[in-house]
Order: sequence, then C-alpha cells, then structure tokens
Amino acid sequence: MFDQWRKKENEDSVLRPECEDLIRLDNLVKIYDTGAVQVTGLDHINLTVRRGEFVAIMGHSGSGKSTLMNIMGCLDRPTEGHYFLDGIDTAELSSDALSAVRNRKIGFVFQSFNLISRTSALKNVELPMTYARIPRQKRADRAMELLELVGLKERAEHMPNELSGGQRQRVAIARALANQPPLILADEPTGNLDTAASVEIMEMFSEIHKLGSTVVVVTHEENIAAFTDRIVRFSDGRIVSDEKNPNPAEGSGRIHAGKLYAPREESEREEEEGC
Amino acid sequence: MLIENMAMAFHAIRANKLRSFLTMLGIIIGIGSVIAIVSIGDTMRTMFTDLYKDIGITQAYVSYGYWNDDWRQSDYFTLDELELIREAFGDEIAYIDSNASVSTEVHAGRMSMNFQFQGITERYMDVQPVNVIYGRYLNEGDLLGRRKNVVMSAESAEMLYGTENAVGRTFRTTIYGYTDEYTVIGVYKKEMSPFQRLMMGGSSDTGEAYIPETILTWPNDTFYYCHVFAADSADMTDFMNRLKAYIAKIKDRNPQDYYSNTAVEEMGSVDSVMGALSAAVGGIAAISLVVGGIGIMNIMLVSVTERTREIGIRKALGARTRDVLIQFLTESAILSACGGVIGVTLAVTLVTVLGMALSLSVVIRPAVIVLAVSFSAVVGLFFGIYPASKAAKADPIDALRYE
Ligand SMILES: Nc1ncnc2c1ncn2[C@@H]1O[C@H](COP(=O)(O)OP(=O)(O)OP(=O)(O)O)[C@@H](O)[C@H]1O
Ligand SMILES: [Mg+2]
Repeated sequence: MFDQWRKKENEDSVLRPECEDLIRLDNLVKIYDTGAVQVTGLDHINLTVRRGEFVAIMGHSGSGKSTLMNIMGCLDRPTEGHYFLDGIDTAELSSDALSAVRNRKIGFVFQSFNLISRTSALKNVELPMTYARIPRQKRADRAMELLELVGLKERAEHMPNELSGGQRQRVAIARALANQPPLILADEPTGNLDTAASVEIMEMFSEIHKLGSTVVVVTHEENIAAFTDRIVRFSDGRIVSDEKNPNPAEGSGRIHAGKLYAPREESEREEEEGC
Repeated sequence: MLIENMAMAFHAIRANKLRSFLTMLGIIIGIGSVIAIVSIGDTMRTMFTDLYKDIGITQAYVSYGYWNDDWRQSDYFTLDELELIREAFGDEIAYIDSNASVSTEVHAGRMSMNFQFQGITERYMDVQPVNVIYGRYLNEGDLLGRRKNVVMSAESAEMLYGTENAVGRTFRTTIYGYTDEYTVIGVYKKEMSPFQRLMMGGSSDTGEAYIPETILTWPNDTFYYCHVFAADSADMTDFMNRLKAYIAKIKDRNPQDYYSNTAVEEMGSVDSVMGALSAAVGGIAAISLVVGGIGIMNIMLVSVTERTREIGIRKALGARTRDVLIQFLTESAILSACGGVIGVTLAVTLVTVLGMALSLSVVIRPAVIVLAVSFSAVVGLFFGIYPASKAAKADPIDALRYE
C-alpha cells in the first residue's frame, strides 16, 4: 500500500538520495541581524545524525535549539556553513524545492501544535498528503488510519479547539507521519502538556523510532530526554556535550505503531554518491 | 487540488459570514444593477417590438416640413390627393388616411365623458383588425355620406351606457363647433396588454371610438398629415423616399421639404434611449465593480495577515508558492463570484416581481447571467492577485513565528 507513495517519491530527483547520514551539519552558523544588534543563534555547529537515531537536544533557554530545528527542518537557512539532509545540500535548493523536501522528508511536531484552526482533525492530517498530490480517497483513508493509531478515530471530525492539548499533539503526530518522512522533528512537543500526556507522546515517538524513523526532539526535561538514545546539549549556540544514552526508557507497550510507519527495507536503499 | 481549494475557499467565506457579505456588497450591487438594467432593456425592447407590431410597424406620417417658412394653402393635403397617392402606389400602400382625430366631451342622457374620436376609413380594419362584437364596422357609405355613425370600444360603451351592446344608442357631442347627435353602429373589442394600454395613452376614463374621417375633414377636406401603412415593412426607407418624391411632384415641391416619421424610426429612438440608459447604468456598475474589487482586495489582505500562521503551517507541511497563491486566488474569485450570484439572484427577483406587478413577461437571457457571474469571478481573480502573491511569498519561518 505504501510502496506506491515511495515510488512517487523516487520520481523526484531532489528527493532520491538515501544516505546513512540523514543529517550532516557542516560548520553551521546562524546570525540574526536585528538591525541594532547581531544575535548569534548558532556558532559553528558540526553534527551528524545517522538514519534511525533517536536524538534529544537539550540546553537552557536561548541556547539555539529552536534555531537548529528550524534549519534542520528547512524552514530557515543558515548564515554560513552547509546543511546536508539525506545527502542533499539544502543551500542549493529553491524555496519550492525546499517545500518538496519538507513535504516528503520531514514531519514536524511543534510545541504549540500548529494545527490549522476551524479545520477538522482529519483534514489537518490529510494536509501533507494533499500537497504530495495523493488522490483524495487514499488520503482520507490513510488519514483515518493514522488517527485510529493515535487513538483519535472518533475525533476525526472535531476541530482543533474541540480537542485537549494532548489530543491536538496526537493529531499533529499523525499529520507528521502522513507522508512517511524519514525524519521527524519535534521542538518541545511536550512543552504544553502535563506529565501523563507527555509520557504518552514520548511513547509514540519511541514506537515511531523503533520502526526505523529518525527522530529529533528538543526538550528541557531530563525524563523526556531519557526516552532517546542520544542526548546533545547546547549552550550559547554551541554543542557542549554529545553522549549516548545506554538505557533508553521503554514505552509501556500500550501503543502499537506497527502500522503507523512502514520501515524502509534495507534492499531498497541505493548508495548515492556524495553521501 | 482545485476542488480542495474551492472547499477551503467556501470554508473561509463561511467562517466570516458577515464580513464576506459586506465585502461582496460592491460586487452584488454592480452585478445586480447590470443584470437588472439588461433585463429591463431586453424586456422593454421586446415589448416595443410587440407594441409596434400591434400598432403597425409599417405605419408612417408625411407632412410639409415645419422648418419651411413659405407655407402655402396648397401644402395641405386633400382627400383627392390621398386617392391619387393610393392609385400611384397601388398594392404598396395598405391603408391611407388623413390622420384626423379629435378629443371632445360627449353627453348621453345624464352621462358625460371625454372621448377620443379617431377619423378612419372603412379600410382601417385591414391594418388594425378589431373584434366587432355588436353591430358593424364603418363602411363606404358612412364615409361618403359623412354619416354621424361611430364604432365604439366595448369599455367605452360600458362606461357611457352601462352596457356593451350599445348598438343604436346615441350621444351628443360638439365637433369643430357643431353640436350634433351621433349613433353607435358597432362595438369592438381590442386585446391589449396593460403595457400597451399604458403606451397608447388610453387612460381608462377616456372613451374611444372610430368615426368616419370625412366628418373630421369637413368642410373643406384639407389636412396637414398624410398617414399611411405600407404593405410591406421590408424596405421602409426606399418606400418613404419614393412616397415623398411623389408627394413633392404632385405638390410642386422638393422631396427634402417634406417631413416624415415612421414607426421603425421611432423604434430606433427607443433603442437609442435604452442604449444611453444602459451605458449610464453600465458605467455605474463598472465603478461599483471596481470599488467592490478593491473591497475584496482589502479584505483578502486582512485575511492573509490574519492567516499568516496558517500560511506558515501550510508551507512547513510542503505547500509551494504556487499552492498558496492558487488557494488565495480561488478564495477571492469565489468570494467575488458569490457576490455575483447573489447580485444576479436579487436582480432577477426584483425584475420578475416588477414584471409580475405590471403583468409583463420579463426577458432574462441566461447568457447574460453566465457572463455576469464569470465576470465577477474575473474581478475577484484580478483583485486577488496582490493579496495572494503576498501570501505566497511569505517566508515559512517568519509566517510560523507570526503572532
Ligand atoms: N527571529 C529572531 N530574531 C532575532 N533573534 C532571534 C530570533 N530567533 C531566535 N533569536 C535569538 O537566537 C537565540 C537562540 O534562540 P532559540 O529560539 O534558538 O533558543 P531556544 O534554545 O529554542 O530557547 P527556548 O528553550 O527558550 O525555546 C536567542 O538568543 C534568541 O534571542
Ligand atoms: Mg525554542
């Protein structure tokens, strides 16, 4: 069922490469020029995230975590340095090509949910598939499936303002998974949620990761970071530590995301030059 | 994708019903007035065509030009000359008379009322058929004998005598200073729409009757107008030129000294009046469409600003510049087209109700409606370009950060 979408994805040359290093940041600098003062958001960052890693990004407020996420999400461009996403140098891409990259390669989960208001949960989940030109019926079926897997099938026709924060974030996760992107980026996904809801959300990420997806989560909380298998710490736009988490917290097993995200077959990957 | 965009557009329009409606007002008024005036124009034109068909499309008048100052007694027409003209043109002339008519008060018993007497010959029946319900029409004997007989309309008879069958009844009236007794020899009925009645000036409290024209041309049988019905309406201009030339010849005048007026020309003037009216209303409509378009542009700019975050989200999820552009263009086109549809509905309702009140059959051309709605969509599209491109160009990260 999902094979067909993958075929479509492969048609687009920009999206084709599949590298072991999903993310490679090369001397990345981001300077915000606010006129009067220049704020350094990121200061010569070098970071590589391999396919299938589950990474937590931590650091105090203002340390540049969101700045990094925005660049990794192709929402913003670095001032200096290069960002290779799946082997593609994003600096060379036009804004429409970046849209295509975001659409097929990245699933976003934001702290403030960022669902489109006055639009049903179902339509919100369909949105990335709409922009991927997936036929209406397929789109609706898959969106419904995803909502079922995040436990919100009954809420499909509800508007975002009729859902709780935790439910909204689950809709956002369903939406992030819609086009089966290899990379899931979540900037403080539990920042607006209570502990129980936070754990539920992290269990979902954990499941998604187990199925082969690469997940990067920004968080302030150690117990949230504990779910990941690598923790990168930031301070003043620099990486101050980067260590493995030998014993990631396990999900309670309540959530079975088996159908959420079809893992990519090893045999399907093509080794591309420049990776 | 188009269907999605349209669904989104309706969604957005419904989300702000009052605002959308107010935005549409300019378009509603513009399109509404265009449809109303075009329908009224079409209706009037059809009606005038019918009316002229009824009163005779081939009808014409000739007189010695009022602009000439060397007027002679011989410039009056005489009955003999009418006979000459008829003979000269033969079958080409269906009817000819002196265009005599008089408006006067009649008395029958204790009843008095105003009457309009039209002086005709017995052949008037050929060009203006009426339904003689009682008695008979005027005949040659009435004409030659200058008999004081009249054929009265059924309504007038009803008013004057309290019965439609007024054959044999008499009344007294004064024509050209001579008071005489006249006899009703026939009663006719003529089918007319209220509009025709209105246009004919036959207000309901004035009676109508046909009278031998020879009574009105009496005593010296001279008159100012020559009134003809051509047999064929195909080439009125040529007919009129030849008629004037012939009249000029027998009168020893120049053809260009004669004034003439045909029903066809009058119809043309109705058309030109309608044309001028249409142009004026069209101008107003154009202005209101431009104002409406600017209103749409304004509200779309507001909407784009309000929905900056939504645009950011869409872009983050993979919307390309084009996707956002088309989304907002669709929205403004649909907003405007909705205005067009409402305008058309209002105008059609108004014109239909008006038509019903005047018991007229209203002419509404579907092509005009389709054109009007399409045009309103184009207005929306045009004025949506700027707001939509503003939305489309938004930087995803700036849009997402927008508060
Ligand atoms: N658009 C901007 N214009 C100017 N300066 C900015 C902008 N965005 C971020 N910054 C600055 O860049 C630095 C890093 O900000 P960033 O949002 O990445 O921090 P963060 O680690 O996400 O913090 P938090 O944990 O509070 O979200 C901060 O000093 C911030 O003031
Ligand atoms: Mg942040």
